[in-house]
Amino acid sequence: MERSSERYVDPVIEAYKKDLDRTLIRENLRRTPEERLRALMEMQRFAVELRRAARAAR
Amino acid sequence: MMPTRFPELLRALSEAGVEFVVVGGAAAVARGSVRLTQDLDVAYRRTPENMRRLVKALSSHRPYLRGAPAGLPFVLDESTLRAGLNFTLVTDLGWIDLLGEVTGGGGYDELVRHSSELELFGTRCPVLGLDKLIDVKRAAGRPKDFEVIAELEAIREMERGG
Repeated sequence: MERSSERYVDPVIEAYKKDLDRTLIRENLRRTPEERLRALMEMQRFAVELRRAARAAR
Repeated sequence: MMPTRFPELLRALSEAGVEFVVVGGAAAVARGSVRLTQDLDVAYRRTPENMRRLVKALSSHRPYLRGAPAGLPFVLDESTLRAGLNFTLVTDLGWIDLLGEVTGGGGYDELVRHSSELELFGTRCPVLGLDKLIDVKRAAGRPKDFEVIAELEAIREMERGG
């Protein structure tokens, strides 16, 4: 039987929802899709820099 | 690794006329997710003409199998695409996954019906919609996706005023 994600309420997923930072999501939803992808690229650059710094500190 | 250059990758695909749908983490971000993803996942149409366009779009960007040992012979051409289905690649524009089929989502023809075009970096790209993104993540059934599903469902609720 096909299980539509619209109707099916998974208690595990509901439990995960309680821990979401909805203010962060709400802020992101104010951006355009392109702005969201640009923010992702910024996060990627930051992650790369963190990894580089961690390697250098070893 | 380097950050993925989404604008250049999407433009390369669009300018070559590739029929594709943005899926996976990048689609989730475009739809509102705040999660970090490293690559661009695209479902591509597996017609000979489209595979030719895909090769044209990416071949000048040094595509290579991600994680494969250096020196392993690999050429992204039409026969390679025909012989495989899903390819995880590194290019000089970043990481891109070419998916002939997505678990729980089917191929391009099915996915494009659940997509809408978004204006991204000067091109209009089909991006998988929230409902199908949730279905695909559910179908994958991986515990690591539970948080992602929760976030996507929350986004859907918030967009509906919840």
